[in-house]
Amino acid sequence: MIGDLRLKKLQEFFDSYSKEELIWVNGYLSGLVSNGKVNSNASVNGQDYKAVSTKKITLAFGTETGNSKKLATQLAAAAKKHGVVVKLTNLSQYRVTDLPKEDFLFVVISTQGEGEPPIPAKKFCDYIHENELSLPNLKFSVLALGDTSYPLFCKTGEDVDAQLLKFGAKQVVPLQKCDVDYEEDAQAWFAKVLQVVENQTAVTPAAAEPAPVVKKATNKKHYHGTILTNINLNDRGSKKATYHIEIEANEAIAYEPGDTIGIVPNNRADVVDRILSLTGIAADKIIITAKAEGTVRELLLHNLNICYLLTSTIKKYATLTQQEIPDTRMDLVDLLRIYPVKDADQFEDVVKILMPIAPRLYSVSSSPAAHGENEIHITVAKNAFLTQDEQRFGLCSEFLGDLPVGSSITFYVHKDKNFKLPAADKDVIMIGPGTGVAPFRSFLAERDATGANGRNWFFFGEQHFTTDFLYQTEMQNYVETGVLTKIDLAFSRDQQEKVYVQHRIKEKAVEFFQWIDGGASVYISGTKDPMSKDVEQTLLQIIEEQGKKTREEAQQYLELLKKEGRYEKDVY
Amino acid sequence: MSEQNQNIDEELGLPLPRRGNKGEVLSPVERIKTASDGLRGTLKESLTSQLTGALYEDDQSLIKFHGMYQQDDRDRREERTAKKLEWLFSYMIRLRLPGGFLTPEQWVALHEVAGKHSTGTIKITTRQTVQLHGILKSHIKPTISDFNLAKLDSIAACGDVNRNVTCSAHPNESEIHEEVFAFADKISVMALPKTRSYYEIWLDEEKLAEKTETEDDPLYQDRYLPRKFKIGIAIPPNNDVDVLTNDVGLIAVIENNKLIGFNIAAGGGLSSTHGNPNTYARLATVLGFVTVEQTLKAVYEVITTQRDYGNRSDRKLARLKYTIDRLTVEGLKEELEKRCGFKLAEIKPYRFTSRKDHYGWKKNHQGKWYFTLFLENGRVLDDELGAMKTALLEIAKTGKANFRFTGNQNVIIADVMEADKPAIEKLVKEFKLDEHTANAGALRKNAIACVAFNTCPLALAEAQRYLPTLIDKIEPLLAKHGLQDDEIILRMTGCPNGCGRSPAAEIGFVGTAYGQYNLHIGGDREGERLNTKYKDNLNEEEILTTLDELFEVYAKERNSGETFGDFSQRKWILN
Repeated sequence: MIGDLRLKKLQEFFDSYSKEELIWVNGYLSGLVSNGKVNSNASVNGQDYKAVSTKKITLAFGTETGNSKKLATQLAAAAKKHGVVVKLTNLSQYRVTDLPKEDFLFVVISTQGEGEPPIPAKKFCDYIHENELSLPNLKFSVLALGDTSYPLFCKTGEDVDAQLLKFGAKQVVPLQKCDVDYEEDAQAWFAKVLQVVENQTAVTPAAAEPAPVVKKATNKKHYHGTILTNINLNDRGSKKATYHIEIEANEAIAYEPGDTIGIVPNNRADVVDRILSLTGIAADKIIITAKAEGTVRELLLHNLNICYLLTSTIKKYATLTQQEIPDTRMDLVDLLRIYPVKDADQFEDVVKILMPIAPRLYSVSSSPAAHGENEIHITVAKNAFLTQDEQRFGLCSEFLGDLPVGSSITFYVHKDKNFKLPAADKDVIMIGPGTGVAPFRSFLAERDATGANGRNWFFFGEQHFTTDFLYQTEMQNYVETGVLTKIDLAFSRDQQEKVYVQHRIKEKAVEFFQWIDGGASVYISGTKDPMSKDVEQTLLQIIEEQGKKTREEAQQYLELLKKEGRYEKDVY
Repeated sequence: MSEQNQNIDEELGLPLPRRGNKGEVLSPVERIKTASDGLRGTLKESLTSQLTGALYEDDQSLIKFHGMYQQDDRDRREERTAKKLEWLFSYMIRLRLPGGFLTPEQWVALHEVAGKHSTGTIKITTRQTVQLHGILKSHIKPTISDFNLAKLDSIAACGDVNRNVTCSAHPNESEIHEEVFAFADKISVMALPKTRSYYEIWLDEEKLAEKTETEDDPLYQDRYLPRKFKIGIAIPPNNDVDVLTNDVGLIAVIENNKLIGFNIAAGGGLSSTHGNPNTYARLATVLGFVTVEQTLKAVYEVITTQRDYGNRSDRKLARLKYTIDRLTVEGLKEELEKRCGFKLAEIKPYRFTSRKDHYGWKKNHQGKWYFTLFLENGRVLDDELGAMKTALLEIAKTGKANFRFTGNQNVIIADVMEADKPAIEKLVKEFKLDEHTANAGALRKNAIACVAFNTCPLALAEAQRYLPTLIDKIEPLLAKHGLQDDEIILRMTGCPNGCGRSPAAEIGFVGTAYGQYNLHIGGDREGERLNTKYKDNLNEEEILTTLDELFEVYAKERNSGETFGDFSQRKWILN
């Protein structure tokens, strides 16, 4: 490629360089190549570069359920219309070493259950909490998404905001916290952001218009399904209760293995009827709220949260009914009993201040190819609700566990872009103890139905072999038909010493490493803590020992897997 | 897993069916046996497979030779299938206890093993041994290991080998009992498979690098027997072991209070198959007399004859009784004499008068005491009827009584010294064992039921779970006709395989479908005449109506001292 003469010249040129200098030059040349500056004879023009960068912003999102990503994508599109160059990035892919180089950084980030960051953003959050940085040139703002029904509302957004301030960065727009209906707040925040950016750069003469973020009444397609099957997979004598629920819709459900579905649980009919009798409102009275329209009874049954109302809702109620009510949370039925409404008409206004019922997400455990496109299955552990507060546990467990065959249910599909099967000929390692089995039942059914020829290896664990081997006969069939190349099982309480999936992985270290080094994708599904953490430590150890690497190299190896989309987690 | 004898079809390259001596196609089990490398098969892999509680298919046949059956809880099949769980597989383990004897220490060990690894119920079988049910695959090795510590094993307790050797159970009934009883153990040891696989698989004994001579098995070779093989020994006049229901029956001959030898009988076997007219229940034919010195050799050569002449293509026609059909009794005798190198002597006269256990306290000629305890269907457990299991444990803990099991599924608290009797008697009274035994009716005390549901894979109908309540309903009928003290022998099996020996009963029930039984009558009380089918497929109501009618006629028309079995034969079968 390079001529002999030029090569000779190059060699002569570098003869005088030390090893350290050569390494530096090596990096320099890589930089030139990656910045697209090759072939430009002129030296890099600092002025020109700066002129470009002032119009440029970084919009980073931290997402778990995908809301932040969707919002950030909308905002980026709006910004582009205003001539602003937006680098849109997932915080999971964001290089923290770029922070000091940023001019404008805008972060859209959600908060998970107990005030934790979304898993893909955890590395970023850990980094800014564990390091002392100096970012005097950075201009930033944070849009925090959350759910006011959780005690640590928008905690992650607050934390990011506070850390960046601490590092000397300049907060150009105040932190904006948003509840589950975030659209309006987000739009207002971004209008301010654009204004700041445009004033600073003064490049675009056009007047700053608020970005047209479209507010859709229903931005997700809701399906109406019928329960075909609802069985507890655990046998008598088990400490667990895991429901296998099959739902059939009257139309094709657009989903893929790896997706989740959101289910809005219904309120208890007896409680709703109690409310109706307490307030004297006619059950079939039509009410139009901001979100929905229907009879009072329908709205209270299917749409509106009546359990453990937010303090803010109770405040609104107090104002509406002109009563002194302390700052507290309680069920609507209790509120109505203790602080009654004046009459049915007043209750109509109360209905309008109620929040919608928050949906619950469950990994899909079926495959459209295997189970038919009108059908979707989920695998729900009763104790999954234990992390929620007591009332929610009551609502959901009663709702899902008690759903009889033939009853109806409303749900929507939530796409997961990352937790997806690789190409048909690629190998897959699935680690899914407990209800972590759900997406892998989906994967296996899909690979079986589509005839994918990649190898499949499943690690499963539970308490007892006899009572808790979820989907045992299906797994046996997959082994028999060769769909499952390997299966390793850990039943923790069948012997004195507890055995978990990570122990089984360790036992197969050599083969496990051969698989991943040969291109297999690794998926983890199930509880985040301690399972997914213990498994990850085991993976690192295997990469280290089998790959003859240092711990740091092993970590890089795993990072690379992540980047290539070959290491995905669906943990909760 | 050698396949050196396998013939290959040259055109197709596929294995041809294996053929026996006479060119017949061998049954699939024959291949499993010869290819098993001394009954090892792939049992070790089967045990470690985490995917299933079952064994690989071939190993399910092989584990029988190690004294176990793979079973599943048939009550739970439907529910577990809906839960996407496999059937609830577990294992039944049967001990090898020649003559049915345990030391008190062994009983304590058995009690503990039962609690640790099985359903907890100790089942005394109709062949004087003990079965534990519901052992999960992961518990098999610990179970065998614990048994081994108590010097107990389950080798060849099931499978196509000689099974547990039975022997008249009551030492108090004969002064030569101990000498005869010793034969049960001698025969059992003589007919043990020589393979070390039991110790390797279950007790982690190192496998010998090279097969040594110790593994050569001149008796079983690599093919074992065509079918199960049973041996029993009786001391007349009591035929409590049902000696003629065995493949080989030995009837002790005593002269001047000395054991001089045995009348040897061959060809007993009670199993048949519904709808297969070629199968039938048969009592053994007495062939002749052998001296004490000739006995082991004679038994051994009956086994080798069956090994060489038995049917290896149809397992339903593979017992010795069908071999005798082919060879004729005379033919078998000739072959046996040829193999033994001596002639069988004339049959010595003998007479059986009963098949029953004598309950309560009895004393033997040496002054030792025996308490025979009634156990309904041989089930030792603590339930609302009494703390039988705790009682036997407490008695065992004294170390002052051995435990003997009878062919009628009862326990004898045995060999108690005069000096120790008060202590044992106190426990017997404390736990009301005497009351329990005395209060049971005559019919119940002479009844037998096999296991059947929920664990036996062959069961078509209930047996041990049902018979107690059926007897509750039959007892008033007997009382109505004044027959409540008649010691009629009633037996029930859940299928026609005869584990509960119902063909050898005065009233025999054989399950045909759930809740339905064939009724057989006309067997004698001594075990020398089988019964005959009288009615097909009776449900409970029909059973009760029929028995009521039969009892009424019997009560009115019987001769003095005539048993129900003999009367039935005369009145309804021969007529």
